[in-house]
Amino acid sequence: MTATTTTTVTLADLTRMLRESAGEEEGVDLDGDVLDTPFLELGYDSLALLQVVGEVQRTYGINVPDDAVVDAETPRALLELINSGQISAA
Amino acid sequence: MALTADSAVIRRLMVRPGPAGEDRAPVPASAAAVSAVLRAFGRSPRDLPVRTVVYVGAHAPDPGLAPEHEGFTVRAASAPGRALRLAHQELHDGSADFAIVAGFDEPEAGTITVYAVKRAAEAVADGDTVLGTLDLTHTADHDAAPGLKALRHGHRATDPDRHRLLLWSGRDEKDEQRVRGELLPLLSNLHREGFPALPTVVPCGTEPGPVRGAAVTVAALSAATVHRAAAVTTRRPRPVALLFPGQGSQHHAMAAGLYGREPVFTAAFDAVLSHMGDEGPRIRADWLTDGRPRIPVDDVRRAQPLLFAVDYALGRMVIGWGVRPTAVLGHSAGELVAATIAGAVALPDAVAMVMERVRQAVRIPSGGMLAVAADERRLRPYLVGDVAIAAVNANQQTMLAGPSEPLAEVAERLRADGLTVVAVPATSPFHSPAMAPASEAVEAAYRDIPLRPPTLPLYSGYTGELLRPEEALSPRFWARQITDTVYFKQALESLLAADDMLLIEAGPRQTLTAFARRHRAVRLGAGAAVPLLPGRPGTAEADRQSVLTAAARLWTEGHVPDPVALSALWTWTATPPTRHGDAGSAPRLASTAS
Repeated sequence: MTATTTTTVTLADLTRMLRESAGEEEGVDLDGDVLDTPFLELGYDSLALLQVVGEVQRTYGINVPDDAVVDAETPRALLELINSGQISAA
Repeated sequence: MALTADSAVIRRLMVRPGPAGEDRAPVPASAAAVSAVLRAFGRSPRDLPVRTVVYVGAHAPDPGLAPEHEGFTVRAASAPGRALRLAHQELHDGSADFAIVAGFDEPEAGTITVYAVKRAAEAVADGDTVLGTLDLTHTADHDAAPGLKALRHGHRATDPDRHRLLLWSGRDEKDEQRVRGELLPLLSNLHREGFPALPTVVPCGTEPGPVRGAAVTVAALSAATVHRAAAVTTRRPRPVALLFPGQGSQHHAMAAGLYGREPVFTAAFDAVLSHMGDEGPRIRADWLTDGRPRIPVDDVRRAQPLLFAVDYALGRMVIGWGVRPTAVLGHSAGELVAATIAGAVALPDAVAMVMERVRQAVRIPSGGMLAVAADERRLRPYLVGDVAIAAVNANQQTMLAGPSEPLAEVAERLRADGLTVVAVPATSPFHSPAMAPASEAVEAAYRDIPLRPPTLPLYSGYTGELLRPEEALSPRFWARQITDTVYFKQALESLLAADDMLLIEAGPRQTLTAFARRHRAVRLGAGAAVPLLPGRPGTAEADRQSVLTAAARLWTEGHVPDPVALSALWTWTATPPTRHGDAGSAPRLASTAS
């Protein structure tokens, strides 16, 4: 089995997954300075975030508790949460 | 609340029907006189509210005066004072919504004094000019017309630690910098107590310029916040459309930070609850309690009445700022709020419709709703029995509803297939065939409700398009709403295709704002979406801060909200204080709506 413990989810990965989760063919301007922009301002509600976290779990084998996702209000907070959670995936 | 027990005189004028001259003969209270009275305020009788009643107060009424004239109920009393008292009584027992009271030979022979009278809370909510409320405390002489008391609704109360709004503008960028430069030393050197008293808009008294700045701040941070604020060059402001969320957006104490702190919100909220009978005070108590509500907010008996009250009161508040919406759109239960704001249903009738829905919904075996991150087509194969597509909200966001057990099984299968599923807080299977018996019962009750075509464009989630007059007038159309699928995505699509809009979500949370921000027109910046309330439950101050931020957004869009109306948010408190404690409730998942 491939170990995924060294994988880091980047903003680019997150952006791609968010777009897919919202069924967007063309981009919101997620490439700008969005790290600290609340998800709600970007149009992503808790359902979209849970969808992305599910995707992260499947693709990267990283375990993120659902409850914690709700508290991650910005891409930066979510990335920190995801990337700190990968220890459990070893 | 005293306001809900009062009657407000919103117009008063004297008519002298006879020829000008010394000899003033008494005016006969005839049918012709009633026709004149109906037109006294320059409105066509056709445009008068439903349940407008004419009260004739005359010592010797024409015996030929019929109890109905031009389709309006006419009630006669033996004196002007008695007519006003009767109007007050009938406004509050629900027989009348709008009273035109004609005092014949009042104050002197040959003169008719005509009063337009409404329930005081609704007059304040509707932004009417209140001349005064009827003073019925002196009961000695029932014939004499009661005097008018000044409207008493709250009082001035300031606190430098409360958030307020500072708005400024300039003719061009340089002028904006000059104006801001003059504001800054004022803020740095200001005594804290003076902060709430600063004007809302600078420069005052001149037409606002196109380069705008805004800050939502407390005294201690005001100079820094104003210094940091970005100036915006406004173009033609986009027209405003109001969005009203439905079931699923509710949370405990939603919008309570505005109650007792914003006069129009407070009056409108109380007006709604005043039409809920004995249940009204219980609903308010459950809404405001710092402890456990007797019935939790997710229960249909609380969620539906409170969402209606909060959405409606927020809509009235924004209109009270002088911002006239050009269109309205509600999600699920929010569509009835939209219909009320658009004049299709009178407020007491809309509240009766909500309460009838609740009465019938509780008789349906319990069920629930799910939000799924997938499109409608993907979910169709999973539907079984009464589990149905409840709402199509946005790309990759669809809701399902149905009776508890089969719905749980569907959720299981969806999760097993890797789909993201979130339970929406609801106790009834709204928008599923399981609601059919309720829908039929509701339809029978709705047949007695006077419906009118909307006077504002209303985009319907049930047709996905502009509401047509024949739909607005159909009891069946409104009754089917609890059974049928909500096509919010399509309705929003139609709304945004009509024009580039500034969408304002008038309700708790930011569910519809998030849907709108996923829409292409909003993503590309042609339209914009602004929530009034925080995305998750928070403190009372956070509610006010959020509303102020939305008002600031209207200003930087180029609109000119009424500065006096806005300043109530940091200078007004209800009497007696109905203030809700700042106890926040725990953040909760599921921000999806029905």
